[in-house]
Amino acid sequence: MKKYLGTKILVYILTFVFAVTLDWLIPRFMPGNPILVLVSRFSGLPESARVMYSYLTKAFGLDQPLWSQYVNFWIALFKGDLGISIYLYPRPVLEVLKMAIPYSLGLMIPSILLSWIVGNNLGAIAARRKRLDSIMLPIMYFITGAPYLWLGMLLAYFLGVVWDIFPIAGAYSFSLRPHLSWLFVGDFLKHWILPFLSLFIVQIGGWAIGMRNMVIYELENNYVRYLETLGVKRKLIRKYAFRNAILPQVTGLALQLGTVIAGQVTTEVVFSYPGIGYILTQGILNQDYFLIQGCFLFIIIGVLIANFTVDLVYMALDPRIRFSYGGEV
Amino acid sequence: MKKVFIFALVLLIFSSMFAADVVYKRDETLYAGGGMWAPPSNWSPITPWNAVTGTVGLLYETLFNYDPLTDTLIPWLAESGKWTSNKTYEIKLRKGMTWHDGHPLTSKDVKFTYELAKQIPEIYYSPVWNWLAKIDTPDDYTVVFTFSSPRYHEWSYDLYQNPILPEHIWAKKSKDDVLTGANEKAIGSGAYLFETYGTDRMIYLRNDNWWGNKVFGQPKPKRIVYLTVSSNNVALGMIMKGELDCSNFFLPGIPTLKKTYTDIHTWFDKEPYMLSDNTAYLFFNTTIKPLNDPNLRRALAYAIDPTIIAKNVYEGQVLPSNNVGFLPIKGWMKFYPENAVKQYGFKYDPKTARSLLDKAGYKDVNKDGYREAPDGSKFKIEISVPYGWTDWMESAKIIAAQFVQVGINAEAKFPDYSKYNDDLISGKFSAAISNSGSQMTISPWTSFNWLFNSPISENMYNGNFGKYNNQKLFDLVTQLNSTPMDDTAANKKVIEQIAEIFLKDMPAIPLWYNGMWFEASTQVWKGWPSEKTPYAYPTTWGGRWQTGGVMMLIGLKQ
Amino acid sequence: MSEIMFFAFRNAKLRMGLIIVLFFLLLGIFGPMISKYQDPLDYVGQGYQPPSKEHWLGTTTFGQDVFTQLVYGIRSSFFVGLVGGGIATIIGLVIGFLAGYEGGWLDELLMMLTNILLVIPTLALLIIVAAYLPYRGVFIQSIIIGLTAWPWTARAVRSQTLSLRTREFVNLARISGRSHMKIILYEVLPNMMSYVFMVFILQFGGAILAAVGLDFIGLGPSRGISIGLMLQNAVLWNAIQLGMWWWAIPPGLVITLVVGALYFMNVGLDEVFNPRLREM
Repeated sequence: MKKYLGTKILVYILTFVFAVTLDWLIPRFMPGNPILVLVSRFSGLPESARVMYSYLTKAFGLDQPLWSQYVNFWIALFKGDLGISIYLYPRPVLEVLKMAIPYSLGLMIPSILLSWIVGNNLGAIAARRKRLDSIMLPIMYFITGAPYLWLGMLLAYFLGVVWDIFPIAGAYSFSLRPHLSWLFVGDFLKHWILPFLSLFIVQIGGWAIGMRNMVIYELENNYVRYLETLGVKRKLIRKYAFRNAILPQVTGLALQLGTVIAGQVTTEVVFSYPGIGYILTQGILNQDYFLIQGCFLFIIIGVLIANFTVDLVYMALDPRIRFSYGGEV
Repeated sequence: MKKVFIFALVLLIFSSMFAADVVYKRDETLYAGGGMWAPPSNWSPITPWNAVTGTVGLLYETLFNYDPLTDTLIPWLAESGKWTSNKTYEIKLRKGMTWHDGHPLTSKDVKFTYELAKQIPEIYYSPVWNWLAKIDTPDDYTVVFTFSSPRYHEWSYDLYQNPILPEHIWAKKSKDDVLTGANEKAIGSGAYLFETYGTDRMIYLRNDNWWGNKVFGQPKPKRIVYLTVSSNNVALGMIMKGELDCSNFFLPGIPTLKKTYTDIHTWFDKEPYMLSDNTAYLFFNTTIKPLNDPNLRRALAYAIDPTIIAKNVYEGQVLPSNNVGFLPIKGWMKFYPENAVKQYGFKYDPKTARSLLDKAGYKDVNKDGYREAPDGSKFKIEISVPYGWTDWMESAKIIAAQFVQVGINAEAKFPDYSKYNDDLISGKFSAAISNSGSQMTISPWTSFNWLFNSPISENMYNGNFGKYNNQKLFDLVTQLNSTPMDDTAANKKVIEQIAEIFLKDMPAIPLWYNGMWFEASTQVWKGWPSEKTPYAYPTTWGGRWQTGGVMMLIGLKQ
Repeated sequence: MSEIMFFAFRNAKLRMGLIIVLFFLLLGIFGPMISKYQDPLDYVGQGYQPPSKEHWLGTTTFGQDVFTQLVYGIRSSFFVGLVGGGIATIIGLVIGFLAGYEGGWLDELLMMLTNILLVIPTLALLIIVAAYLPYRGVFIQSIIIGLTAWPWTARAVRSQTLSLRTREFVNLARISGRSHMKIILYEVLPNMMSYVFMVFILQFGGAILAAVGLDFIGLGPSRGISIGLMLQNAVLWNAIQLGMWWWAIPPGLVITLVVGALYFMNVGLDEVFNPRLREM
């Protein structure tokens, strides 16, 4: 047990270092020069552009050799300093993240969790009820095939513009200042529902299909037949089957939750929702080294925590793994 | 833990009960968009190109405003300003002006603003000290600028472009804070106050103690909510719903929508709907063969038909440019070089283009359908446009097709924006469309200074991307800058010479005028400026409020 | 085998899914030949035209033929699905089997690789690659989607293999001294056949959807047309607000139908491979 955890933690630390290094390196391979992008947005007089260019290059520490930039990056990271965003200059990256991530999480976590729960239940039910399986799931398959952005676009146009039931832009009315009241909460939910729906609807199907297939696959296994011949109750058999079938679904959930920060960029764009996905895309297009690094640091941490949790859950759900780790069974 | 949470919750509910103005009244609020593309993050007048729109104009103010419709400098912080000799410019400030915090605004602030750039050469307007000798403030309301070598055009531009800073706040800042501070809760002198902001919005509150209320009248909207809209479909949807009062986006389909939605207001009721604001140019890389040949570039000018672009891509929302890229505004057209255009001008005429190419030795020798260079080598012109700028992408495709029509192998190319920008600045392209420095200003000099930027260096940050090298032309641009603005004849003489060189050598081809995109909704606010009531240039873009935006706010009606 | 074929033909779900997918596949292959216009990006008529004899699915703002764009778009979507989904499935399967079956340090190493790949920004990679090529095409896009989409599969396959490797028949095989490769190929893989199919079909559909998303946010092919580009243009040029449903609806609908039908096929195949499902 201890050995298992120890190895795991060591591996995760190694993964972290490698992944962070890669994400530090990748933006620097991108073509062009981020400072040029920043300076060129300035349509002032040419003499000053040169002065600003050299000042900013120095201010961002980009005049130093690559290795020393790398060392500085790690030093700053341990101090909790993610640098200053180039795209949103001069806002610190940490502040950018703090401002936008809550919106992304507020949208993604409920949509992922709810669709996971609902989808898995539907899938498990469908796996043993033929009628349901042949009527409800087909519809689901097609909805799952719909691109988020297309569904979002249609929802926004018909429910937002034509019937005018829901707002089409922002996270809360442009006429409101955030405060705690029923009015504001209601308004927030009203803005939240369409982007949420466009994510939720599309995701359900994926989970349902996965679960359905896994349960069927399990029900079909030798141990189930063995149990059946032993005369074990069907309910108990299903419980076992369900338990085994849920394993890959847990993996899927963890991975999905881990990448929550990058979010569904397209949904954010279609609904003009102020999450981190859109900002990150703009950061990438503007080669904002520090913003890209910062965002991906969060993603890395998210994914690793999620994976670690999965490993722990596996240990709990499937004791064979725990034992087999000690050596050949 | 639970207790703390409940306590915080109660506290929040309580505080929200007392928080005034959590709901903005619709009829007091102006919703605007089109000038903000990223979450608000910077309100520094020292980095205005990166600041939230309204930082200059609403919060900070300039000595003058400029009205391009009448070509007049409107005295703003200054009550008057004039050249008292050919090297001194004297400004009388208005009396009784205050900053948002109540401090009086005096000549010391003006002097400080400029001298700050002397101490900190990284400030963008510091090069002014190459030609400005000193600033005197004989009293609290008089500022005398003494120049060593006056640049009249540039100075007129600076007068309405450079915001004045409060000395009592900025003198205390460290150099780094001045240069890189976000300057949140900015204290300026303008008609609006910094109220708050969110990821996708900036909120300005009207300054009821604004000095200008007595002079110009009070701006009508109590609040301005400026929005970031990430997608065209959202912007158009909001306009259709009447949720966006004033938008400065280019939106496809406005001509079509205006037929069904009568409350969508544009400057002109019919084509071209929009005022012209800047000129899109096709730059050629003049350092590579065979594009270094002016005969080829001139022939290509005859091959382009911008009316097709205006019609097909912009649905008539833009106008084709004239031969020298002069915007159809008073301040530029009074200098229009009609002689040079008459003598050396070009027009869309593929026949002439072909015969010019033939004459210059560009013939299809190997019969592959495309002309070869006079030395027999094959070549291809790639027209670069940033990927995702769809209107420009379509335009570039049309131009490439028109080049092919006259037998020149050409193709539109769409690198990602960062690559496009890098290629443009470092001269790694064969042809590219750009409009980054051709916008409406008080003088065509700004556009020339961008088109023929000098000296030629490895990286051309601000114009002359094709590295067209002609010292005579550069000298003429400098000469223009040092010709007094009111001497129209002298200015015109210089501009005729510039235009002659430009038209003969064609380092870039003016294509079409991008519009001053402006779609307003008359559902809540009325009295928008238009062709019939041209009281203000309808812009809310960053750094442009002082060319009409603020006047528009004053002129609005309920 | 013949039994499988028999049930395959009898299975309604499989048949229906297959018909839809085949229909669009054929449309993608032969559509460009039956369409009246050669170049999907050419301006061939008036803008804003609703469907007519001249333009089966109307025209765009600029007068491009929507039907021509659609059939070329379908072609590139299938290409992305096949190449992107294929690469992702193969890599995911190999890594998942190896990690799950071999266990120990190899497992840790492979999972480390998986986790690292999971956090590499696809968007940034696309920009980098595009910068070093004359243009960004559908092929490059597919490869990058394939190379970044497999960790998901690898994790899932690994966990399946983990629970399989301890089952009796695998143990039996091991005791009988067969090589690891053979055990994976003959014992583990067949037992996961339906799962492998599911993975491929999900990856196929996933790759198509991923490409649509990338195109939409401005990282699509800079030459040629795709369904994602059509959708992006329809949104940018306000097709739906301006009443041009023929431009905004069909591309999304085609994707929905194709991906939906793929999932449908997957279920059908399951029933074919697992006789017990047929009894149910």
